[in-house]
Amino acid sequence: MERAHSDNAIEKIVIVGGGTAGWMTATALSRMIRNGRTQIRLIESDDIGTVGVGEATIPPIVGFNKLIGVDENEFLKAAGGTFKLGIEFVDWTRPGSRYIHPFGDYGLDIEAVKFHQIWLKLKALGATPYIDEYCLSAVAAKLGRFLQPGNDPRSVMSSLAYAYHFDAGLYAKYLRGIAEARGVMRTEGKIVDVDVRGEDGFIEAVTLASGGRIEGELFIDCSGFRGLLIEDALHAGYESWAHWLPCDRAVAIPCASTEEPIPYTRATARSAGWQWRIPLQHRVGNGVVYSSAHQSSEEALEILLANLDGAPTGEARHLKFIAGRRNKFWEKNCVAIGLAGGFLEPLESTSIHLIQAGISKLIALFPDKTFNPVEREEYNRLTAMQFEQVRDFVILHYKATEREDSDFWRYVRDMEIPDSLATKMELFRSKGRIFRFQDELFGEANWLSVLLGQNIVPRTWDPMVDAFDAGKIADQAERLRLLIRSTAEKMPSHQAYIDRFCRADFAT
Amino acid sequence: MTTQRIRKIVIVGGGTAGWMTAAACAKILKNDYCAIELIESEEIGTVGVGEATIPQIATFNRTLGLDENEFVRETRGTFKLGIEFRGWGAPTDRYIHPFGPYGIDMEAVSFHAFFLKGHPDWTAETLEDYSLQAGAAKQGRFMRPVNAGNSPLSKIAYAFHFDAGLYARYLRAYSEKRGVVRHEGKIVDVRLNGETGFIESVVTNDGRVIDGDLFVDCSGFRGLLIEQALHAGYEDWTHWLPCDSAAAVPCASAGPPTPYTRSTARSAGWQWRIPLQHRIGNGMVFSSQHIDRDKAAETLLANLDGEALADPRFLNFTTGRRKSFWVKNCIAIGLSAGFIEPLESTSIHLIQSGVAKMLQMFPDRNFNQADIDRYNRVTAFEFERVRDFIILHYHANQRHGEPFWDYVRNMEIPDYLADKIRLFKSHGRIFRENEELFNDTSWFSVMTGQNIRPEGYDPVADVLTDEETAARLDHIRGTIATCVGHMPPHEQFIAEHCAFEGAQSA
Repeated sequence: MERAHSDNAIEKIVIVGGGTAGWMTATALSRMIRNGRTQIRLIESDDIGTVGVGEATIPPIVGFNKLIGVDENEFLKAAGGTFKLGIEFVDWTRPGSRYIHPFGDYGLDIEAVKFHQIWLKLKALGATPYIDEYCLSAVAAKLGRFLQPGNDPRSVMSSLAYAYHFDAGLYAKYLRGIAEARGVMRTEGKIVDVDVRGEDGFIEAVTLASGGRIEGELFIDCSGFRGLLIEDALHAGYESWAHWLPCDRAVAIPCASTEEPIPYTRATARSAGWQWRIPLQHRVGNGVVYSSAHQSSEEALEILLANLDGAPTGEARHLKFIAGRRNKFWEKNCVAIGLAGGFLEPLESTSIHLIQAGISKLIALFPDKTFNPVEREEYNRLTAMQFEQVRDFVILHYKATEREDSDFWRYVRDMEIPDSLATKMELFRSKGRIFRFQDELFGEANWLSVLLGQNIVPRTWDPMVDAFDAGKIADQAERLRLLIRSTAEKMPSHQAYIDRFCRADFAT
Repeated sequence: MTTQRIRKIVIVGGGTAGWMTAAACAKILKNDYCAIELIESEEIGTVGVGEATIPQIATFNRTLGLDENEFVRETRGTFKLGIEFRGWGAPTDRYIHPFGPYGIDMEAVSFHAFFLKGHPDWTAETLEDYSLQAGAAKQGRFMRPVNAGNSPLSKIAYAFHFDAGLYARYLRAYSEKRGVVRHEGKIVDVRLNGETGFIESVVTNDGRVIDGDLFVDCSGFRGLLIEQALHAGYEDWTHWLPCDSAAAVPCASAGPPTPYTRSTARSAGWQWRIPLQHRIGNGMVFSSQHIDRDKAAETLLANLDGEALADPRFLNFTTGRRKSFWVKNCIAIGLSAGFIEPLESTSIHLIQSGVAKMLQMFPDRNFNQADIDRYNRVTAFEFERVRDFIILHYHANQRHGEPFWDYVRNMEIPDYLADKIRLFKSHGRIFRENEELFNDTSWFSVMTGQNIRPEGYDPVADVLTDEETAARLDHIRGTIATCVGHMPPHEQFIAEHCAFEGAQSA
């Protein structure tokens, strides 16, 4: 009886699709499912391009890489990667406006009162600099500096948080090396058929163009937006969020660098969407995300080409998508990870994070051959919640605008928003309060930077601030500002850090 | 911008809730932020008897800056490492729900998974070998954590037992020293603003009119302000938690105080045992539908360690929560907010959490509805999650043939709890929901303690082979046994640090 469980262990995992999602999944599972019995096979076709272009990430990637055994310097070297301290948003509030959404916290809380509440009062009392000046990541980003945060919680350096920019294709290739060394088998081939078992609707095998048939017990669908298994074979269904996030097209192109890489992503609002700029060691990744109802692909491409740092170094690639999520991410014996699970535009660099969160939840709820529905239901519930939380944060950027210069911006400014977001905005407007739902990806500092950055101003600060002596808190804040400034100035330049630790051979 | 600041807080009711609220407000709202007044009547008894707590109380005491030894001494307190449950699964079962985690997570996989893998025939006893707190509780040992690197002795989780009346008295002195004004009096009228319905003032039996901007209702179960004046409404949970009465009696100690609370299942409810320095607090919580009060009191008196020191006091209650905890300019804290039986010692925690949330959402005189809505939403969530954890104890029983226990075993339970049990039954997994009070250790402890057996262990535990798992488990058990051996007897620790002078003679 007690051995029954182990006998039910999944023995064959089949990952369908390479690319970032596929190889991240393969690498993580080969690290976590090490029982000597489970085989992991990944099927990909060199004929099918992957969506990954220059990718920007958010800080949880640092922990994920550690967990799956990826060395930071080695991987950045292999993927032409750079460091990222935040995102600069240009022209979002109104043409000419700009702000940074930095990683890491603002200031220091005093007796459980949030620093930003103290700042709100100081600002009302007089000439206090913008809250950016109290955030080391923001100050270092603007100065083009980078250094590892270190482990000393008493040092202001520990308030720095970072992520990466890298070439997603090279990242996948790097992970493939690790996964294959751990015994993951790769099969080259295009899938032409999916065999679904009559009695229970489970996937039994996939058939390749070459005629080969690959059986499995657990299938991971990393086939991208179309969802070859989860949608084409299992009809999980898709919930569209296009009414909140009308952008449904993108055009991407790399270009030559004309300067040292800056340690942050830039997102610039355009007439019917926005443009990304992701600095790598060897080039810059660029793209325009736009709404096809408001702009043609020719117009979008023209805007993109007119706004590059240097000469294009490749062909423009066009992509189509619908913002939303699969109704079920895990159906029968198939789990959709990556774009097969859902799509949110990369405005807050969440694509890779949603992959890693999907993998972590799969490991936390890993099934056996009996596929008890309770684990599937829990996975679907938690994943849906996560997608919706990220969705709300992305919608905020569009909703909180004062732009009136195009139909697109007028639409998003005036649209109805989800109740969950409306409540968050109203709590902030009332007294600057922000609450994080426990597992919510974006925390107080993230929401704060975008709310303040896009000119949502609280009517007053938290009344608790009034229990402090105003002169004393002003002095404390000023000392902290000076400490942050001098700390940032002592950090090496971003380029110097890269040159020292992780310069790619192909970066010139 | 600051002209809308609250000028005066009026707390209605002393007792534990009232004085905890007063003390926290006096400490946090310093620099003459606003006036704080508390009205209580010596004629009205408070409910607090021997009270048991959970480790979160340390946060509250730290916020106030209390000296822990002084606080334990003043309240005749003892230390608590967990709760022993007797007769809750099957009539002869016992288990400890300890504070602190079991074992240690390995390879990014939870300890629970390795435990289930390594001990296919586990019992409550087997599990207790992996908890420092359970081991120390069984041997009557206690000490505070020490700085010992990775050793479990660095992370001893504990709470307290104390006399709630003395705790309130202690906090009263603390509050009065920090400017809280106490009014002696009984409230005979609550005056509302005719237009807004806000409370403008309360009137005492000697004719004084006490006005305020913010009123905190700590008047106890009846909810003098929140219910009688503002009609917040009450959600009744008796169909899930049928106990509606209690009888309480102190008795003499018959040995050194145990460093844990005991809860013993009885035919129509359960009996608590809370050891203090000078006596033991006892009580019977029961369903009046299933047993009459004389019979309940008789069972209680027949099951005391030593001689009863008073006649039993009876209490009636309806388990449930106020539909809104914060209405207009009135916040209900303590029993006025809701009642959940003290099976998991949550009463004081719910007070402290109410105070913390009130300070987190502290209003100005505009009383923005978004702030109030959030307070009510988060507080309702907290009450409901505690409720579900309590229901688990009743529902997962094997006491066949006793009508009370048959009822709770067969009743419909809330979906949230049903899902949690289903997930556990499958592979022994527990996920903590957003800021839910009880963590996965607590759920694991009660589910295993009451014999819910998962069908299998988490497959990810196969990251270690059977042999590796057994070796690591042996090592953890050994480390914990060694650490327990280093801890002094509970009574010795008290004598050295925080004994009340009269403890031996009382």
